[in-house]
Amino acid sequence: MEPNDRLSLDAWANPSSSCNGLPRKMSLENPSFTNFNLQQQEQKWDDTSILNYGIRIEPPPFHEFNQASESEYLLSSTCNNQPKVLDQEDGLNNEALQTSKSPDWDPRTMLNNLSFLEQKIHHLQDLVHLIVGRKGQALGGHDQLVTQQQQLITADLTSIIVQLISTAGSLLPSVKHKLSTGPPNGQLGELLFPPLAGMNCVPQPQHGSGSKSVQPQCVTGSKVSDQCNQMDVTVSFGTEQNLSIEEHEMKEEEDADEGENLPPGSYDILQLEKEEILAPHTHFCTICGKGFKRDANLRMHMRGHGDEYKTPAALAKPNKESSSEPVIIKRYSCPFAGCKRNKDHKKFQPLKTILCVKNHYKRTHCDKSYICSRCNTKKFSVMADLKTHEKHCGKDKWLCSCGTTFSRKDKLFGHIALFQGHTPAIPLEETKGPSVSCDKMDGNEASNKSGNINFSFGSNAGSGAQNIIEVKEDADDPASYFSPLSFDTCNFGGFHEFPRPTFDDSESSFSFLEAP
Amino acid sequence: MPTRSTPILSLLTEDLLIRVNEKLVQDSDRKKWRLICKEFHRVDSLARKTLRVLHVEFLLSLLKNYTNLHTLDLSVCPRIEDGTISLLLHHVDHSIWARNLKCLNLSRANGLKFAGLEMLVGACKGLESVDVSYCCGFGDREAAAISGCEGLRELRMDKCLGVGDVGLAKIVVGCGRLERLSLKWCMEISDLGVELLCKKCLELKFLDVSYLKVTNESLRSIASLPKLEDLAMVGCPYVNDVGLQFLEIGCPSLQKIDVARCDCVSSSGLSSLIGGHSGLLHIDAGHCFSEVSPTIVKCIQKLKNLNTIIIDGIRVSDTIFQTISSNCNSLIEIGLSKCEGVTNMGIIKLVSGCVNLKIINLTCCRSIADAAISAIANSCRNLLCLKLESCNMITGKSLEQLGLHCLLLEVLDLTDCCGINDRGLERLYRCSRILCLKLGLCTNISDKGLFYIASSCPELQELDLYRCQNIGDDGLAALSSGCKKLRKLNLSYCVEVTDKGTKSLGYLEELSDLELRGLDKITSVGLTALVTRCKRLIYLDLKHCEKIDDSGFQALAYYSRNLRQLNLSYCAITDMTLCMLMGNMTRLQDVDLVHLTNVTVEGFELVLRACCVRIKKIKLVAALSFLLSSEVQGILHARGCKIRWD
Repeated sequence: MEPNDRLSLDAWANPSSSCNGLPRKMSLENPSFTNFNLQQQEQKWDDTSILNYGIRIEPPPFHEFNQASESEYLLSSTCNNQPKVLDQEDGLNNEALQTSKSPDWDPRTMLNNLSFLEQKIHHLQDLVHLIVGRKGQALGGHDQLVTQQQQLITADLTSIIVQLISTAGSLLPSVKHKLSTGPPNGQLGELLFPPLAGMNCVPQPQHGSGSKSVQPQCVTGSKVSDQCNQMDVTVSFGTEQNLSIEEHEMKEEEDADEGENLPPGSYDILQLEKEEILAPHTHFCTICGKGFKRDANLRMHMRGHGDEYKTPAALAKPNKESSSEPVIIKRYSCPFAGCKRNKDHKKFQPLKTILCVKNHYKRTHCDKSYICSRCNTKKFSVMADLKTHEKHCGKDKWLCSCGTTFSRKDKLFGHIALFQGHTPAIPLEETKGPSVSCDKMDGNEASNKSGNINFSFGSNAGSGAQNIIEVKEDADDPASYFSPLSFDTCNFGGFHEFPRPTFDDSESSFSFLEAP
Repeated sequence: MPTRSTPILSLLTEDLLIRVNEKLVQDSDRKKWRLICKEFHRVDSLARKTLRVLHVEFLLSLLKNYTNLHTLDLSVCPRIEDGTISLLLHHVDHSIWARNLKCLNLSRANGLKFAGLEMLVGACKGLESVDVSYCCGFGDREAAAISGCEGLRELRMDKCLGVGDVGLAKIVVGCGRLERLSLKWCMEISDLGVELLCKKCLELKFLDVSYLKVTNESLRSIASLPKLEDLAMVGCPYVNDVGLQFLEIGCPSLQKIDVARCDCVSSSGLSSLIGGHSGLLHIDAGHCFSEVSPTIVKCIQKLKNLNTIIIDGIRVSDTIFQTISSNCNSLIEIGLSKCEGVTNMGIIKLVSGCVNLKIINLTCCRSIADAAISAIANSCRNLLCLKLESCNMITGKSLEQLGLHCLLLEVLDLTDCCGINDRGLERLYRCSRILCLKLGLCTNISDKGLFYIASSCPELQELDLYRCQNIGDDGLAALSSGCKKLRKLNLSYCVEVTDKGTKSLGYLEELSDLELRGLDKITSVGLTALVTRCKRLIYLDLKHCEKIDDSGFQALAYYSRNLRQLNLSYCAITDMTLCMLMGNMTRLQDVDLVHLTNVTVEGFELVLRACCVRIKKIKLVAALSFLLSSEVQGILHARGCKIRWD
């Protein structure tokens, strides 16, 4: 799925939520209006669910919404603008948060963020212009509309502020903290939250029936939901992630759907067989979970689920999301008995998507069969993990005995201090100082050489040769106990030397001297 | 000593014999014991706990004999290599000896590499103490091999130049029970390694981080060690007062601190450290800062238990002596070497309170005169060691006082005290326990003085007569009859000494270190007479003994089989004799061969090949580095031999 696509999908939840939120606020002041509003919305969502199951595609539901709430022309027109604006906002949020994860600062991303901000401000400007233009026509009695306009603008301004802060990397941790811990207090809080809540694939209870139609988004996009999850984690568990050492552990976190508090029974549980999970499929039926290698085959398969899948639109290539379905939340169970992700577990935590199931099952219950070709030590069960690792492999030259690598020595030592029994691994080549390694090399070379030289020299020296011959013949001689490490024999020159009488030897060395 | 009669032997059971055997201290006595009979020999091998081996070729049979060894010292072996270890472990009855071994000394075993170490450590499961100091070639791999000793409590790694943080990390993880660790001169180790050490080895009692490039961060980690008693951090240039303040609040059991030559430490830093540890026993702050400040003096007042204070090279005033004298009554040792401002008055004040002083170092305190020494002699009756080098104002009166009162004196350094003469030495006659006497550059001493020494100091082990030009053969004759236990003798530039003198030295059977530099009256006759008798010679310096010819050196080669260090620079030795010499001296490890005019380049080439197996250090003329083949230089290098080019 294209990223743009995704952004718009993610964003889709926002207008609805913010639109929902605003009227609700107003209900305190004007209950009748709220009722009307809610009713309208309910109607609208019902519409969408019936007519168009894939509410994720932008235009149709929106138009409907607009038409439905004709009485609020102003509002709807602003709403019309909003999706785009929010799109970008989310995109920014997304990006900003992602950049915050990666330790190195990318100026290009920064530039992107800034230009997004610029655009957004322009949009807001247009919006205000529009409001100013309409103001003359607006009737005096529409106080609520004015308030709504104000709130909308405030909402946009707030999101701009949020982005500004998140773009400024240094301030990020405190922002995160605020977002994750601070309860939505007052208007600002509430306005800050909707976009983020939208990113969470969390059904918002206050949406009422409307929330149901939001759900499918979780089931559909494999990557999308992945992203969503990741966002989730970053927002609510930012600190935890920072602590985690390995990227692998981080990925495990992905599976965690913290913050999702679906009441048991409010969703369907699908449990795929392990063969199904391990099959190399990438396209899965959202109804029965069956996997396919090709999307076209999936579409053919979907026809079997009912006539609605047989329309030309449903069979058309690009948006398989358009083939909608009855809105039932789907969650997945791991087939591995005893696993926390297995539906029979006491504290069962369902998996959100099929991709989550696949990754979870492979990482947790399968052998790690992908070995990094560079280091030959790190193993992975998910190909994507291997690829992520291979990007960094080799750069991390500080290695622990447990196989974990680090780019910095102090990180390795911190790790060793933390874990009992872990020690730094010493690489095969001495890579400390150039002088040291050089010495070693020379040493090895020379010692080999010296072995030979010494040998021949010893034999030249007369008695030395005798000794050596003796050594070879005498089985009881210590030399026969040489370890398989094959140390050069000349080490024991000293050993074989001692029995010979001193002056004999000196004579031989005399003769030796005359030889050359 | 038991007699050879069999009835007595039959009465003595094995354990009784072992108990008797344990009473023998001297090596020579044990040797006699072993020679008595087989039974005694057997008992000796059972009872023997310690073995220090010089002849590596006997190691095999020795280890077969002595199976209950606790301590094996290979530091004086010419060369220990991986192959030697494998041989010892695989040949000697499946290495019974290794099982009981607790202490292993591999100091200067440069030939050993990690493979050998690994085997050794693998076999000696019970090792508690390992010394690999001055194995300059050791690196992280060797450290990793050592880390296999799980029960290790003591480790000396001085000057293992290649060991870095990674190697240290290996050791601290593998040997978590370490109590004593010396990392002196392990220049690669940084704060990271020390930090990890302090997190993993909480049992540490002694730590030496001298000369490391560690900073205050290391001291912050060290301060967290709960049991640390002794910290040495000599010459740490990046440590300053901030670091000492960490120590002030940490290390609750600290007793000894050595911050000598830490250039950035000031007296306020030291006083803050002292402030936190009033139980300190030992302070060494030599050459740390320029002057003793009043704050330090104030702090010292609190140190009631102080045993040792060394403030070498620091300007002092009489007030500090007053303070020490009235507060630190249990002071045993004081070091004031090269201190400016040490006066007679100061010393008199000091000894008035500190009557327990045993070691006093007044080297280069030039204003010290007889008055101070008299005060010392009168107050400190237990004095063991007094160093008075370059105290020019000292005369025989001082020695008279010492001779009257300090009867326990063992070490007396009078180097360069030109006020000392034969009469003075005569006054020392009651100091019969003197072990070490240094009279270098005391030009007023003659043979007569040596007579007095010979008659009054029968225990003497070390005598320095460097440039005592009035010494002659008669003095040496007296010495060799009186001081039978003499081990170290320096006669360099005592130019009057002739063959007759060296011949009489031959009667000193214990002699191990002999310096005969610049004695140009000595010939081959004298040298031959000397070496035929002095079998224990380990170190011989014959530099500038130009009269000795090949026949003398051939005798040296034949008789001095235990020689470890030899200086032949400027001697008249020729190619052939040098080759023979170097080929035969299988224990020789360190040799100076500078300016040998009769030796050709080819001769050197052969010499180096002949000795390359065992030699550890060699000094040659720089010009030879271009003339010698790269092959032979490569061999020496590969063997871990260090060549010093002069």
